[in-house]
Amino acid sequence: MRIVFCLAFCVLSVAAQNKEDSELSNPYEGQTTAIEAGQKRFREGCAACHGANAEGGRGPNLAENQDLKRKSDGQLFKTIRYGIPAAGMPPSPLPDNSIWELATYVRSLSASAYELSMPGNVDRGRTVYWSKGGCGDCHAIRGQGGLIGPDLTNIGATRTAKQLTEGVLHPDQHPVEGFRGVTVILKDGGRIEGVAKNYSNYSVQVLDRQGELHLLQKGDIRQVEFQQKSLMPSNYGQTLREEELQDLLAFLSKQSVRPDLKETRASSRHSGDN
Amino acid sequence: MRRFIFFLSCVLIVSGQVQYQDILRSPSESWLTYHGDYRAHRYSPLTQINSSNVAHLVPKWTYQVNGAHRLEATPIVYKGVMYVTNSNEVDAIDAQSGKSIWIYREANAQQDSVNRGVAILGNTVFFVTADAYLVALQRSTGGVLWQKKFADTKKGYFASLAPLALKDRVVVGVSGGESGMRGYVAALSASTGEELWRFYTVPAKGEPGSETWGEFDTQYGGAATWMTGTYDPDLNLVYWATGNPWPDYYGGGRRGDNLYSDSVVALDGETGKLKWYFQFTPHDTHDWDAQSIPVLADLPYGGQVRKLLLHPNRNGFLYALDRVSGQYLYAHKFVDQLDWAEGIDAKGRPIEKPNIEPIAKGRRVCPSTRGASNWMSPSFSPETKLLYVPTLEQCDNYISTEHTPEPLHNLAAGGAEGIPTEPGKFYLRALDPITGERKWQYAMTGPGTMWAGTVATAGGLVFFGDDDGQLIAVDARTGKDLWHYSMGQLLTASPITFSVRGKQYVSIASASDVFTFGLFEPEVAP
Repeated sequence: MRIVFCLAFCVLSVAAQNKEDSELSNPYEGQTTAIEAGQKRFREGCAACHGANAEGGRGPNLAENQDLKRKSDGQLFKTIRYGIPAAGMPPSPLPDNSIWELATYVRSLSASAYELSMPGNVDRGRTVYWSKGGCGDCHAIRGQGGLIGPDLTNIGATRTAKQLTEGVLHPDQHPVEGFRGVTVILKDGGRIEGVAKNYSNYSVQVLDRQGELHLLQKGDIRQVEFQQKSLMPSNYGQTLREEELQDLLAFLSKQSVRPDLKETRASSRHSGDN
Repeated sequence: MRRFIFFLSCVLIVSGQVQYQDILRSPSESWLTYHGDYRAHRYSPLTQINSSNVAHLVPKWTYQVNGAHRLEATPIVYKGVMYVTNSNEVDAIDAQSGKSIWIYREANAQQDSVNRGVAILGNTVFFVTADAYLVALQRSTGGVLWQKKFADTKKGYFASLAPLALKDRVVVGVSGGESGMRGYVAALSASTGEELWRFYTVPAKGEPGSETWGEFDTQYGGAATWMTGTYDPDLNLVYWATGNPWPDYYGGGRRGDNLYSDSVVALDGETGKLKWYFQFTPHDTHDWDAQSIPVLADLPYGGQVRKLLLHPNRNGFLYALDRVSGQYLYAHKFVDQLDWAEGIDAKGRPIEKPNIEPIAKGRRVCPSTRGASNWMSPSFSPETKLLYVPTLEQCDNYISTEHTPEPLHNLAAGGAEGIPTEPGKFYLRALDPITGERKWQYAMTGPGTMWAGTVATAGGLVFFGDDDGQLIAVDARTGKDLWHYSMGQLLTASPITFSVRGKQYVSIASASDVFTFGLFEPEVAP
């Protein structure tokens, strides 16, 4: 039996080895059962180096890893199959289907919310966004909406489901650089309220609610007061019903400026064109 | 009272929109196009920094672009905000303090590439991703308005240029000439990204010009359009330079002139229709793209003021064309190291010498494949009437594999290599654009590897990046060096100058940073 298993494994491995990276595609892509099976295998064989939640240890962080996100299915498969001996990562003896399950799990860690199916109704979520939730008062999508909060046009394509959910429910725990509420009192008594795009002891760059930038220097300013809490309400968990929240998250998860994100894998670099 | 004025001048509110008329007046305090203006003069009317005080220029700030190692962008500045690009990224910077305002990164871009900058129109900042999307960003926040794919990477295209915004549209070109793609120029709606017109720089079979390719399949002719063109608003003509025919170093499979490679094409801004073309290097086998900037100048010639297009070409000749009709007027050698042609005939065609084709064992030909000049920006001063051209004196050993490679596999069918005993040397040359006379030249030191350009000013100065990692200011009339500063990095971009709240600055993007300079000001006690 052991011989038969080994033979089958060797045949599969040779088949995969002989294929170009671009010819290999994950047969389990996005499948929940494969993600779960892959997670189990990951904890058995990979967590010792990469951490139980793949957030890094002796080996690199594989969760929300942009470099990994850009690897093709074939590159990911072969990395697991053959390891990276120079970096201390051993080859895997697992059969191909198990490696694909592992790859499916690892891919899911950095998959954008857009690529996964989040529960909820997108159309109803749109209504929540523009009415009850009041999100559009501060956040723009494709140029519509307020300017003082982070632009959400591409939020589904650039955040994982976990990040998206956390950002909506607990904004204070996930401050976004460049969006700290600020009030600047000018030396002439004038007052500017908005978000600090940047600040130092010598200058402050403020975006106000009308979308105007105020580029201020030390000599202009009498006082700068930063808000301690995020400008974004932190009580959506209470003000929205559970299904409204799910609908809103489903709507946000579908915000992508590019329609086909699978094209983003297997990137290349051009050094120039001269 | 003095304090009051000082105070007022220090608060800058950035509002308003960039109108087409604003771009027509650029450069002024702002720098609104890749070339500063539509004519590619790269001439600023600012005079605060001038030949009498440039020695007091000091660094004001340095901004590091995260992860950058080869910035090729010309910064755009509007009302105190500077926009700089790296691969798939735009950074908006407070131009007075050097502090970041916002950064847009296209995390889902399929490729990486150098990038040469943004265009600005209305409330929108435009740039291209390496995988050939035109991206429209809200000017004050960097929020994305839309993206539109304008070329297919699977067909060998990528993008690196700064777009050209005019009226209601944004004109773009494509990179990838070494892959065997088919070049084109396209205009996209500035409000939606919808394609308004497209002009292919390699004619399809049966179209005029296709007969200049012999039996070659013109789906793969190259003639990329990877640098920003220029524009004459009065004629409503867009002038775009084109790249080499593909494969670069072997012409046996593409017998004929290979139109419209190595040319400048004049396109109707409204329709994209070809008004005229002029080919500098027919049937090129030395990778002499015509990507030097077409400079539009009105100068006296033959007893009248003519609307000229000046082109210091990679092949070593400075050309002048009538930009209304495309008529060839004259050409002058602007490098000493030129041995491939006796000269240019009355119709503008090079009189080629024998035995200049690349061969398997290599053949020495001058200029080098990098060209007598390349995409580094020249500048033209209407005051001195001189054209300032970064110039490379170098020859190369040209090698050909002597076979036609498979398209889309990034093969050039050969290459060129430097000759160890003949290192290249860069000069900044001040040329009389009518006679071709060298009024002066500044000999640079360095390894012969830079890609930096120039900016001329009404302060009687020319700023340029040199081959030794230095930004240099020289007297525009004499070439006398007046100031320099070493960035300590290979320079691959062109400098600009602008003004914020009455203070003039000079900036250049270097390998990983943007450096900005201004006049020394003693600290004022509070």
